[in-house]
Amino acid sequence: MLEKMMKTRLFGWIDERTGAEAILKSQLTEYPVPKNLNYMWNFGSLALLVLVLQILTGIFLAMYYKPSAAFTTGNYTVAFDSVERIMRDVNFGWLIRYMHAVGASMFFVVVYLHIGRGMYYGSFKAPRELLWIIGVVILLIMQGAAFFGYLLPWGQMSFWGATVITNLFGALPVIGEYLQQILRGGFAVGDPTLNRFFSLHYLFPLLLVAIVGGHVHALHVVHSNNPEGIDIHKDEEKIPFHPYYTIKDAFGVSVFLLFYCYIIFFNPQMGGYFIEVDNYVPANNLQTPPHIAPVWYLTPWYTILRSFESKLIGVLAMGGSLAILFLLPFLCKSAVRSARYRPMYKILVIMFFIDVIILGYCGHSAPTPTLKLIGQISTAYYFGFFLILPILPKFEKTKPVPEGI
Amino acid sequence: MADQADQSRRNFLYVAAGAMGGVAAGATVIPFIGSMLPAADTLAASKTEFDVSTVEKGQLVVIQWQGKPVFVVNRTEEYLKQVDGHDDMLKDKDSKAIEAVGAEWLTAENNKYRAIKPEYLIVVASCTHLGCIPLFKPTAGRKDWGESVPEDWPGGWHCPCHGSLYDISARVINGSPAPHNLHLMPYKYLTDTKVVIG
Ligand code: HEM
Ligand code: FES
Repeated sequence: MLEKMMKTRLFGWIDERTGAEAILKSQLTEYPVPKNLNYMWNFGSLALLVLVLQILTGIFLAMYYKPSAAFTTGNYTVAFDSVERIMRDVNFGWLIRYMHAVGASMFFVVVYLHIGRGMYYGSFKAPRELLWIIGVVILLIMQGAAFFGYLLPWGQMSFWGATVITNLFGALPVIGEYLQQILRGGFAVGDPTLNRFFSLHYLFPLLLVAIVGGHVHALHVVHSNNPEGIDIHKDEEKIPFHPYYTIKDAFGVSVFLLFYCYIIFFNPQMGGYFIEVDNYVPANNLQTPPHIAPVWYLTPWYTILRSFESKLIGVLAMGGSLAILFLLPFLCKSAVRSARYRPMYKILVIMFFIDVIILGYCGHSAPTPTLKLIGQISTAYYFGFFLILPILPKFEKTKPVPEGI
Repeated sequence: MADQADQSRRNFLYVAAGAMGGVAAGATVIPFIGSMLPAADTLAASKTEFDVSTVEKGQLVVIQWQGKPVFVVNRTEEYLKQVDGHDDMLKDKDSKAIEAVGAEWLTAENNKYRAIKPEYLIVVASCTHLGCIPLFKPTAGRKDWGESVPEDWPGGWHCPCHGSLYDISARVINGSPAPHNLHLMPYKYLTDTKVVIG
């Protein structure tokens, strides 16, 4: 179909003025991709889909949402009421809001799998270091966007989550207090905070669009890695992106939509994991809920924070646990990329994935001494994993990698 | 033509123009960041009046000052006795660690009470760890509170977020993630029972 379209006079007219044909060829119909990619390579296109869905649903929500902490009746506020109005009175408002709230969680599901894929198959290694680094920037901006968005419904979890996180910044020496005031616009989280978070919540996803563009561009310069983790030279080992991978990605999209729609229509709160129950209680700045925890996708980092007695060290460890991701390409010294041919790395990286899940579990539960200890051990492993990587090649006997695919 | 130009002068001009541009760009950032700091009306709304006689013996109320929660407790004789006997459990028994936990009216005698009138404790209610509001668990021991407090609990506050503990004078207990005692704020008595906070 694309071939036919490219032969029309209209396309010819556009091509003369934009060079569209050359772009389509180099990026799609003649863009070479290894022929052996497995389904773990579907999550990039899914992330792109969810980003588009978030922006689309967000823009429609913003037509009705009102960022104001002014009181209405009882303990209710303009912002809280406007979200409830979206849920009850706005045509299809419930659908658009659930698409957005569930979409935020699904975004992280997809991106975490995408990152895990990169770690397992060594996609972060040369020549893809910059591609990986741009990816980590995307992760940080996503976390920021989700954090800002979570304040908007102005429920108890919104309010106290934002209080705790803005306090984190206050712990930093010298600049901490300023940073905290700049985030809050006052002495405590309040109306000015809500307004600026809405503004930033709008900005961050648009930043993401630009950075994702850079990510894809960087990919198209160095090309995809593959499950074997080897460089590909021969033409018969590659297939064009279109139609082979457009069709495979489309299949991935339909499977994804099945899950996404199931959750939206039948289980939008996912048992309190995707939308926390306490967030249907309007924000009350004079009472902390008995148990506060961030949404699931931030809980691993929250556990790292909680694992230290000293607040400052906790904050630095949490920042460090994200920052260390930037260094991964330079810490990992092995010449072999894929875990398929690295027996020790394979065990360590699978344990790392399990470790992050345990960290997430600890962060979601009410703190007890046992969980605290488990959290501390998991935190130690989290950092230990990265610190072992530089010396791993000294012990590890890698298996011979295949010549081709 | 180009090779007749004096390259070093030209480079100087580039650097000078670039540096001026950099300074201008830096200066432009100031009003934008400045606009994000608390606005004048937010800063102005900074005094709260409260009548402490409205608080029953043994009761705690939470009021607002500058948008922040503030505890006002009317401590019973029993509670006042509970400030003694656990100095070794406290991170900062004299409230000296940072300015915000002290006040100019604190003396060697009254600093264990941390209050102008010992029975009325008035402190900022934000946990010094990450800002949650601690739960009031005033009686000593585990009888009323179960496992949530240690066995030698002197009575005070327990923060639900990450388990910080404070004694009945809101002084932080060893082992808590919170670094400091709950903050004091400037306040004075206008009459026997009317205080103005801020
Ligand atoms: C990176 C993409 C985005 C992510 C991860 C994200 C995440 C979130 C989250 C977690 C919430 C709270 C959901 C809830 O509990 O109801 C939220 C709310 C909201 N978001 Fe976004 N968002 C994104 C993009 C956008 C965009 C582009 C807009 C456009 C202005 C937007 C507008 C809103 C509005 C108006 C709300 C409040 C209504 C509500 O609470 O449902 N979002 N967002
Ligand atoms: S906020 Fe009170 S213990 Fe963390």
